[in-house]
Amino acid sequence: MVEQSEITEFSVQEGDLKVKISKNSHQAAQVSIQPGSEIVRQTTALPVVTPAEIKPAETAQTNLHEIKSPIVGTFYRAPAPDADPYAQVGSMVSPGTVLCIVEAMKLMNEIEADVSGKIVKILVENATPVEYNQPLFLIET
Amino acid sequence: MFNIEEFDIKLDTEFIGRNFIYCDEIDSTNTVLLNNKDFSQNGTVLLAEYQLKGRGRKDRVWISNAGQNLTFSVLLKHDLKEYNVNVINLGASLSVAQAIENLYQLNVELKWPNDVLVNKKKIAGILIESTSKANKISKLAIGIGINVNQPNFPGKFEIQPTSIRREFKELVSREKLLSEVLNNFETMVDIAHDEPTKVLNDWRNRCKMIGEKIKIIEDDKMRTGLFEDIDENGFLILKAGDKTEKIHYGDVSLR
Repeated sequence: MVEQSEITEFSVQEGDLKVKISKNSHQAAQVSIQPGSEIVRQTTALPVVTPAEIKPAETAQTNLHEIKSPIVGTFYRAPAPDADPYAQVGSMVSPGTVLCIVEAMKLMNEIEADVSGKIVKILVENATPVEYNQPLFLIET
Repeated sequence: MFNIEEFDIKLDTEFIGRNFIYCDEIDSTNTVLLNNKDFSQNGTVLLAEYQLKGRGRKDRVWISNAGQNLTFSVLLKHDLKEYNVNVINLGASLSVAQAIENLYQLNVELKWPNDVLVNKKKIAGILIESTSKANKISKLAIGIGINVNQPNFPGKFEIQPTSIRREFKELVSREKLLSEVLNNFETMVDIAHDEPTKVLNDWRNRCKMIGEKIKIIEDDKMRTGLFEDIDENGFLILKAGDKTEKIHYGDVSLR
């Protein structure tokens, strides 16, 4: 099919499966299957973007580490309404430092840092709902 | 005095309570189980006769007379996917309810998310605390307080407390009750893993507020509506007009 068309390269992705088919003028069609997490859909003869050239937005700044919520719940920055927050922008943290609590149905889940670094951004307002895997903190490592 | 031998004879579990720690006085059984590296075995149970910092949600305290009740925590470290954790949360209250009903034939109801009531009064409460590293829950301490032989409860409470002694009109064995709760709890943890909908259905059957008009209060916010159901995570589905909302915290009461 590729041989007979004007298309020289073609790639499509479903979920984690990425299929790239390319035709060089004098070579047989080659099929390569590569795992990838990028969303790429190309069906024209535009220059093919290889996985190495695509970076998800979150890793564009390589020294920023995201802390994500392990559960659906409500985000709290302090252990009690009148207590000091666990962490502030600018706080230095290390693995094991408690950053916040996410509560769901009287389950108080303390979230600890898993890296050393400085908190550069708190992405969620206190006492607001968060989804599973929603980014909560950015830590500069 | 808690008779560990009597408790042990009745305990019929594979892992829950097989490592059992008894102490007179402690800050909070949840805190110690989560933070003390010596207590790391899956299923460890820590029972304290008195908690200096026993607590409920946020800044509320759990008050319990020394030596008359049960205040303990169970440590779980395996299979803690989010789904199971929420089902285990509701299932913990179910295990306590079943134990009280089996041993004392009391009519036990559940109040969302995990309060245990007899005659509309609170007989047991649960607070779960967990630790997550990155986005994975690594340890879960299920803190359970059951009012067993306390004769009276002076003071003001959001929900009137009661005890098994007050309802059953007799002093009861704390050892037998604890082993019954832990036996039920271990069975429930297995079911929560293999067939979570069964745990949720059993919970629904014991919650008499489903289908009723309720109010949910959190801080200074109040929501009202119909308690339609719980979802697959155990979250409360509140229907107000033609809008439905999923609630994951707050104090629920009938309107």
